[in-house]
Amino acid sequence: MTNTSPKPLSILIAALGGEGGGVLTDWLVAAAHHAGLPAQSTSIPGVAQRTGATTYYVEIFPVPIAELGTRRPVLGLYPVAGAIDLMVASELVEAGRAMRNGFVSPERTTLIASTHRVYATIEKMAMGDERADAARLRKAAASLPKRAILFDAKADAETRRLQLNAVLLGTIAGSGVLPLPLSAFEQAIREAGKAVDGNLAGFAHGLRVARGEVSLPPDEPSVMPTVPPAFVDAAQAFPAEVVEIVAHGLARLIDYQDADYARLYVQRLQPLSQAAPAVLTEAARQLALWMSYEDVIRVADLKSRPERLAQVRAEARAGDLPIRVVDYLKPGIDEVASVLPAALGRPLLAWGERRDLLDRGVPLRINAASITGFVLLRVLARLKAVRRRSLRFIAEQQAIEQWLAAISQASRTSVALAGAIAMLPGLRKGYGDTQRRGRRSYELLMERVVMPALRPGADGEAAARRLVEGYKAALADPEGQRLNQLVAAEMARDMAAE
Amino acid sequence: MERSFAKEIALLRQGDGEVFEGEGILAITKALLQAGVSYIGGYQGAPVSHLMDVLGDARDLLDDLGVHFEANANEAGAAAMLGASINYPLRGAAVWKSTVGTNVASDALSNLASAGVIGGALIILGEDYGEGSSIIQERTHAFAMKSQMWLLDPRPDHARFVELIERAFELSEASNTPVMMEFRIRACHMHGRFVCKDNKPAAHSKRHDPLVDPNRDYGRICLPPSIYVQEKHKVEVRLPRALQFIASHGLNERFDGARDDIGIILQGGLYNTVIRALQQLGLADAFGASDIPILCLNVTYPLLPDEIEAFCRGKRAVLMVEEGQPDHLEQAVGALLRKAAIDTTLVGKAVLPMAGEYTAETVLRGLVRFLEGSVPHGIDLVAAGRELAALDAAKERAAELVGDELPRRPPGFCTGCPERPVFSALKLAERDYGKVHVAADIGCTTFATLEPFHMGNTVLGYGFSLASAPAVAHAFDKRVISVMGDGGFWHNGLATGVSGAVFNQTDSVLVIVDNGYASATGQQAIPSSSSNRQGAPKLSIEAALTSLGVRWIEVVRSYDVGKMRRTLRKAMTTAKGGLKVIIARGECQLARQRRVKPATARKLQAGERVVRTKFGVDASTCTGDHSCIRLSGCPTLTIKDNPDPLRRDPVAHVTEDCVGCGLCGNVAHAAGLCPSFHRAEVIHNPGAFDRGLDRLRRKTIDWLSGARRAEMAG
Repeated sequence: MTNTSPKPLSILIAALGGEGGGVLTDWLVAAAHHAGLPAQSTSIPGVAQRTGATTYYVEIFPVPIAELGTRRPVLGLYPVAGAIDLMVASELVEAGRAMRNGFVSPERTTLIASTHRVYATIEKMAMGDERADAARLRKAAASLPKRAILFDAKADAETRRLQLNAVLLGTIAGSGVLPLPLSAFEQAIREAGKAVDGNLAGFAHGLRVARGEVSLPPDEPSVMPTVPPAFVDAAQAFPAEVVEIVAHGLARLIDYQDADYARLYVQRLQPLSQAAPAVLTEAARQLALWMSYEDVIRVADLKSRPERLAQVRAEARAGDLPIRVVDYLKPGIDEVASVLPAALGRPLLAWGERRDLLDRGVPLRINAASITGFVLLRVLARLKAVRRRSLRFIAEQQAIEQWLAAISQASRTSVALAGAIAMLPGLRKGYGDTQRRGRRSYELLMERVVMPALRPGADGEAAARRLVEGYKAALADPEGQRLNQLVAAEMARDMAAE
Repeated sequence: MERSFAKEIALLRQGDGEVFEGEGILAITKALLQAGVSYIGGYQGAPVSHLMDVLGDARDLLDDLGVHFEANANEAGAAAMLGASINYPLRGAAVWKSTVGTNVASDALSNLASAGVIGGALIILGEDYGEGSSIIQERTHAFAMKSQMWLLDPRPDHARFVELIERAFELSEASNTPVMMEFRIRACHMHGRFVCKDNKPAAHSKRHDPLVDPNRDYGRICLPPSIYVQEKHKVEVRLPRALQFIASHGLNERFDGARDDIGIILQGGLYNTVIRALQQLGLADAFGASDIPILCLNVTYPLLPDEIEAFCRGKRAVLMVEEGQPDHLEQAVGALLRKAAIDTTLVGKAVLPMAGEYTAETVLRGLVRFLEGSVPHGIDLVAAGRELAALDAAKERAAELVGDELPRRPPGFCTGCPERPVFSALKLAERDYGKVHVAADIGCTTFATLEPFHMGNTVLGYGFSLASAPAVAHAFDKRVISVMGDGGFWHNGLATGVSGAVFNQTDSVLVIVDNGYASATGQQAIPSSSSNRQGAPKLSIEAALTSLGVRWIEVVRSYDVGKMRRTLRKAMTTAKGGLKVIIARGECQLARQRRVKPATARKLQAGERVVRTKFGVDASTCTGDHSCIRLSGCPTLTIKDNPDPLRRDPVAHVTEDCVGCGLCGNVAHAAGLCPSFHRAEVIHNPGAFDRGLDRLRRKTIDWLSGARRAEMAG
């Protein structure tokens, strides 16, 4: 065997297009050159630079060129699974991908990863929540490598106004994996000549992170709302694990309408207080959300609160500068009809449906930071006083009662079915077309699955499974195709059975 | 162009003895100048765009050397330009992305190869095969064989690249044959160094020793009977001369090793990867000294029978490391051995995959299987097996920890891209006229075939969407929509698509996405670019269409989703026959930001009034349905944990990188989505009026909100 010579150090960088992974790679190569070591980098940018995932690969040979004479090491162009000394991932799922591809070895690899998430389009576009399991990825990243340096580099960089790649370079230097003096890294940044001071500051911060000199901010504790005095007794009557949800629900409904409406909330929950805790918790949560459904009144109210303008200012980093806030509102005919009294709203809605105009709306651009815009929003918000007489309010209350009755009845025979019914209003969300589609899915499942399951002698467990399946189908695609297919298949099966 | 390549051009100017340090593709560019080329042409594409970009910016340097540079209309144009070397002693190079570019160029290439050359003709091919590639997986090797052009696949090392480019010109001249050189994507982006030589001026140019007598030789024309003579010349003269040149100049490299019973033959481009696998198994040292003898084929076509035979003779088994399929090399080597009656066992695709990229791990696994099968003397097979077992165990453990499939992350439209709204509109317009067949094209627009748009049924090539539509349209109850970028339009769409559609009176809809550049390859100027090269005249897409007889043309600002949707509906439903073209216009946001960002920074610094726009989502009114994302997919429109304690689904959220393109608000309006979007306009360096109005507004709103009263009470 001839293999007694030193091995090159291998560094793999996984990043997303536009994050500065190329610059980070150049800094590493330059730092190696400043230290007199042979180094080679390569990458596969191609179109991956357009926001996709990509990797950069660097090899550094630990013997100075000066000592090599005429010999030169042959350096690789591909990372080798199991043979990476330093794995750098600028994002959590990319760290996960590196691990799955075998680039993080328990014997050899130091993993430097930012724990923040940049969601992929397929995660973002889901109708519910289909995000990758971040907790699991964090655990894996902490336990698999020989050594792990994990921190939210993105948040660090943003709050301190630093560049992510410079922070990562500092962390790389601080990890001590590479045989390069700090001055070589700093020289690389200086020589590149772009935003030198900012990048040196980022580098210094990353260095402190790697050395454990930066304490992480503590998690914010969840805030338990105070239950209004008038409701303390009623709230305490519920099992301990439900009280928090009930408290949130009460606060929300007082804010949404008034104390009477909150009282109705508690009254509606009371018949379910003997149900399984999981069912009750879900029902309490869904009931509060449903009773505070979003109508034009609610939206105008939320958009014209002082804390909202403050929030917009903070997000836009406006500080104390003058600001315009343009709200994109497009109330459709059904949304207008829904806040009108039933006697007026119903004919308007029917007309709109006949003319197929429900998709249409009046596009409005309201400057919520202007006086006229603000006053308009406040006037709309004040319609709260007549909400109880509105078309939609009446319709929603009826549907709520029907749903509550179904849970009550189901909880006598099948906890699973009651639980599945309790989560069903989760389909009713959004505005306009989205809202109509969600309501259709809900009604379809109520009619096809829930109602038959409540008949005497029906198989509650089977119905619960079908309901969960239907719920998932309703969220599978925005056109409701999957749900329609499922219902059609069920009908065909039922007919065959008969 | 918004970018400057001054640094790169300085590298190209380096002289004798200076050390070049930079990317592989730039080293290749420098080598062309050192070899004394008279002309360079090409068409952009990864991984060779950089060569085009830098030379396009290096007018002074090229003028000094008397080198003609041309950004050709397409690869066929570049290949045709090599015709300059048919009659004259002019060295020239053409460059493009293979194999797609080679496909486009192949008509000219066949003619060039048949006629043969006097001056060295070199075709630099960027090979983009495997992981992350955006093109079909085919081999350039087949083109080299069928047209008889020599194919070099150099060992990845800057000095070797540079030397072989010089040799390739000599080979071309010695054998009257064009030479192809393929460079893999990782090699093009490889950072390395070499010692420079002075650049050589072109042999003939307007400036220096111009040609005066055209060389008119019917023997160089590809018509009978010349073509029969040319074909004979290929096999009787050119091939033997090439073989002799390759042998006498030692273009291939033989590395002997301590073991003599086995050996490895490899494509030069895979050398480093094979060495790395050998190192992994303890069979090579850091400097590439291998226990197993290696024959490194820097020339993969033609093969030297003597060299192959000499290498294989006396060995029990030889491993052929050859990427891609069909296994042209393995078949050729096998035939050579059979004819020479050498009974060495040849193993290639039996232990290495037939298709797919030869990554380090792939090669390592193949190598271990080869060693296990050939049982060479003195190699510890147990240790080799252990290496793989450890790798498998580590992967298994990682899979256990990490769990199921991770969300894939393909490339997509950039933040604020003007192409995104076009596809938002196409998706929305399907609500009006139902689902339609969409003929997609090459370029950034291809990203629309992915989530969240899934807009596109077929891709047939660059600029071919419209040409691919008529037969489908004939079978459908409604019109077909073809989409192409402005790059595709000029590359082939105008000639192949539009003229064909007008001539055949095709009743079809074409959407041209005009963002001002060939963007997917890095914002190169195209004929209709406003920031064109060297003051070239700007060609108009509308004028081109009109002149071909297209009567129905609508130009829509690409961000106007509502108008685009209405225009699409009109195009799909109008009673008018013929071709209907919608031009969606909006500048590439990457290019725009490159210009706008520094300008804004300067204004801010100078204290000038700047209105900065950022979109946002009110988490309190967002119900977490994400319809907005399904109509956008913008990187800055993302999701975050729902701050509402009662809600579970994540809410939409706009990150700080938002460039304020306006799509979010437009889509919210056009689709009637949801009232959660807002646009914040922050006025930096406000004037007295801005400040006064703001103060008045804030005070009034505070007072109306009652906050003021509360304060007074407090």
